[in-house]
Amino acid sequence: MRKTLLKASVMSIMMGGFFGLQTTFGQSDPSGKKPITSTYAITNATVFANPSSEGSKATVLIKDGVIKGVGNNLTLPAEAKIIAGDSLFIYPGFIDGASNAGIIKQEPPKRPDNFVSSNPPDEIAGITPWKSAIDQFDISSSQVDDLRKMGFTLTQIIPDGGMLSGKTALVVLGEKNSTNLIKENVALNASLNGARGMYPGTTVGVMAKFRDVYKNTQLTKERQATFASNTGISRPELTPTYMGMMDVIDGKIPVIFNVENDLEVRRALSLQKELGFQLILSGLKEYDNVIDLIKSSGTRVLIQLSVPDDKAIKAQKDDANESVKAQYARVKEAYDKAIAQAAKLEKAGVAFAFTTSGAKTNDLMKSLRTMIEAGLSEKAALAALTTNPASILGVPRFAGSIETGKMANLVISTGPIFQEESQIKHVVVDGNIFDYEIKEKKKNGANGNGNGSISIVGTWDYNSQTPAGSSGGKFVISKDGSSYSGTITYQDPSGSGQATSPLKDISLSGSTLSFSFDVNAGGMNLTVSVSGDVSGNSMDGSMNITDFGSFPISATLNPTLIANK
Amino acid sequence: MKKLSYILAALVGLSMQFAIAQTPKGSILIKNATVITVTKGTLENTDVLVQDGIIRRIDQNISAPSGVQTIDASGKYVMPGIIDAHSHVALDVVNEATAPIVAEVRMKDVVNPYEIGIYRALAGGVTVSHAMHGSANVVGGQNATLKHRWGSSNPADIIMEDAPRTIKFALGENPTRVHGRGNGIQPRSRMGVEAILRNGFSEALQYKKRWADYNAAKSQKGNTMVAPEYDERLQTLVDILDGKIIIHCHSYRADEIYMLINVARDFGIKKLVFQHTNEGFKVAPEIAEYTMGASVFADWWAYKFEVYYSTAFNAAILQKNGAITSINSDSAELIRHLYHEAAKTQRYGGMTDDEALAMITINPAKQLGIDDKVGSLEEGKQADIVIFEGHPLSSYAVPQMTFVDGVKYFDIKEDKDDQRQQVSATEMVEPIMLTEENHRCMQDTEHLFETANALFSLHNH
Repeated sequence: MRKTLLKASVMSIMMGGFFGLQTTFGQSDPSGKKPITSTYAITNATVFANPSSEGSKATVLIKDGVIKGVGNNLTLPAEAKIIAGDSLFIYPGFIDGASNAGIIKQEPPKRPDNFVSSNPPDEIAGITPWKSAIDQFDISSSQVDDLRKMGFTLTQIIPDGGMLSGKTALVVLGEKNSTNLIKENVALNASLNGARGMYPGTTVGVMAKFRDVYKNTQLTKERQATFASNTGISRPELTPTYMGMMDVIDGKIPVIFNVENDLEVRRALSLQKELGFQLILSGLKEYDNVIDLIKSSGTRVLIQLSVPDDKAIKAQKDDANESVKAQYARVKEAYDKAIAQAAKLEKAGVAFAFTTSGAKTNDLMKSLRTMIEAGLSEKAALAALTTNPASILGVPRFAGSIETGKMANLVISTGPIFQEESQIKHVVVDGNIFDYEIKEKKKNGANGNGNGSISIVGTWDYNSQTPAGSSGGKFVISKDGSSYSGTITYQDPSGSGQATSPLKDISLSGSTLSFSFDVNAGGMNLTVSVSGDVSGNSMDGSMNITDFGSFPISATLNPTLIANK
Repeated sequence: MKKLSYILAALVGLSMQFAIAQTPKGSILIKNATVITVTKGTLENTDVLVQDGIIRRIDQNISAPSGVQTIDASGKYVMPGIIDAHSHVALDVVNEATAPIVAEVRMKDVVNPYEIGIYRALAGGVTVSHAMHGSANVVGGQNATLKHRWGSSNPADIIMEDAPRTIKFALGENPTRVHGRGNGIQPRSRMGVEAILRNGFSEALQYKKRWADYNAAKSQKGNTMVAPEYDERLQTLVDILDGKIIIHCHSYRADEIYMLINVARDFGIKKLVFQHTNEGFKVAPEIAEYTMGASVFADWWAYKFEVYYSTAFNAAILQKNGAITSINSDSAELIRHLYHEAAKTQRYGGMTDDEALAMITINPAKQLGIDDKVGSLEEGKQADIVIFEGHPLSSYAVPQMTFVDGVKYFDIKEDKDDQRQQVSATEMVEPIMLTEENHRCMQDTEHLFETANALFSLHNH
């Protein structure tokens, strides 16, 4: 924490005082990036001030990161920069209930020489409740850019690590040279995942260890109290683990438990019932069977903003025999049930929010639209992105809706936010305006495999920009019947020269080409997902590498002598 | 005001407890069957009346009370639900293999009611299974006794809450391989295993005293003594010493079996059952005198060095020496036909029908401490019942219906092709385990002895 603050202030001095909102320096801004004003007015836009709002024409005035007015007869100050909003739609900035965006993966700590796997030090076993996510947070990470681009303005960041990885923090996804910190020590992040090759190695071990740490923290607190008011008492052993757990056992902060399915939900709830801590369940993907339990226990929940991929459904063939068709039907039923869970949760009256942790950032809006098609109301969807996470995270005073006095976090789109054609044009975070390019969407045959004018078959030269520099190679796509196949060459990360991988899941939807491939980097298998917009012979898009973020990629299709249909 | 909300919260919490404890109970009248009670003989042309999950009457010519469905079982055999004293079905995790003693872990935490193995077991007439921790540790985790109430999504619904606590111990090659050879710590030998046990129990005695001293001092005026550290691992060992937990110990060789009998005697432990026990026939009188018996395979051995000295007469020899003897599966496959396994004791050892069937019903019930509730067809017991076509010890026996607490969970006539409770939304063909080895005693331990794996082709019971 302190380190981060220090880093930010050093940076701001070097940048010549771009902390411009409050600070003034007696010299000009050598970076040239200082905005000329911190007052903006988005005029005559369609404003959805909260999830219940039907949308009405209004002007939104913001100054120094705060909403100064919303209405039709505002007096705009002279320094206000006017953004003509006549064709735009304004929504409250989205709030992500929990995310890993910008969290730097932590190196596993070094094992001591006398390491015994049956009794490892807490830090190595993933028990680090004293750590804070803010120390692992990098605002300039491309993951943060990606998340902000989807409309997210405020999030709870989750520290990387094991079963008790540390404390979460609330941050805004704002400017690069601010700490962006709202609050640290918000919740303790927990999971049921064990440490590999040491105690506790599995979910049973983790649950036992959780009880152990919890109860011994309670005893440590009692010993501390006795020690503080008596003489002749042995000094209580105050370990970083117990000190890091104190706020949890005192009920000052909740445990945010990462649970994917109904059985894990029950496991976290059983620990809570036994020990009595405050609980937030996060990352739920399969929860159809525990909706009533979530409702009756009153537990706060963060649903993962994703839906199962529909490849298995789409791959179902018409000419299958009866027994295969029966299996198809069950998979289809499972899929339909999965995408309708959020709607069921809404009907049960649970004020849930979303988490993007573990979800593909590029697919967030698509997943949301799928949930809406399966019965989730747009009102509940917007509430799950704004007012509900604000309440769950304890920040409704200044976030979650567009009202005078609230933090200037806004999403500004070209149309109603859940419509597929709508694009996000600006995201306002903490009063800072982030602009996004609006792409002309090409009209193309509705056919998913792109029977239209776009051909992706052939040899492409591509170039990508990563932190390690620019790199490039070729990918070749061929068409066989209605499906595509192909290969890609790239610079071998675990050696020199070029490596080749087969392309997976190649699809052309409208003008969007997407595919993925696996790269072996020093024994680790990384999946790279590429998605881009094809126009003529060129493609522009992004390349997403698991755990590392996304990077721009561009490619051109080489002319071929053989005509491809 | 605050007080009121506390009271309300307590009430709500209480009512939730009750809601969870409620499992389905059925009423049924089975008519004109050959009723094999196991403990009270075999009765021809007899009816069994079940009401609210309990066997109310076993008699001839019972007329059905109103609302109770009648099943005509003419020509069929009715026997108590089969009990498997050694299984790993319906567990998401089997081994917390990382320390020589992990008494603190609870298999009840990781029960998975969706596992198809439960239904398959029901199709083999098994109504109760003992979901055990694996055998990677000298002292493993606390097991769960399950009632196969298939179809619930709540793990609590399939846990037999009125069953006593049991715990897994393991001797011999598994714990020495994982910890000694795999990790370079004690135990590396059978002597090390004994040392782990004796040290563990001695530490538990000290732990018990520390807390007893503290609790005694706490109530004194002006007490300044502070609480000792809490340790559920040692507390569980204390509970074993206090007779609150039944030990179920994975074992093969006679010397180590006798070793554990001696350790138990030295520490005053009486609740002890041996599992596998392939050389049990060599120490059968001792097992009979000092323990709650042995749960063995019918004829399964030679899958590793310590299991070569074995015989199919093991169960019969143990039984004839007065040891409580059961036949178990330790396998998601064998659990489907434990009645065949029991029948082998007639071929190898000449057991009577009741003696053979006792090995998969009342005897495992005794070893799990639930023989007052299940394990035989007696008035007042829980109605876990199987109806067979053919005598259950015949090679042609086929279970027709299986009831738990009077509720029918399996009926061969209503047996759908696809009985899965949960289906993946993203995979047309879900991965299946081709070898059953993946679900046995040594599951989740693979990473601990990768080098050993390269040296030996392991078979992992």
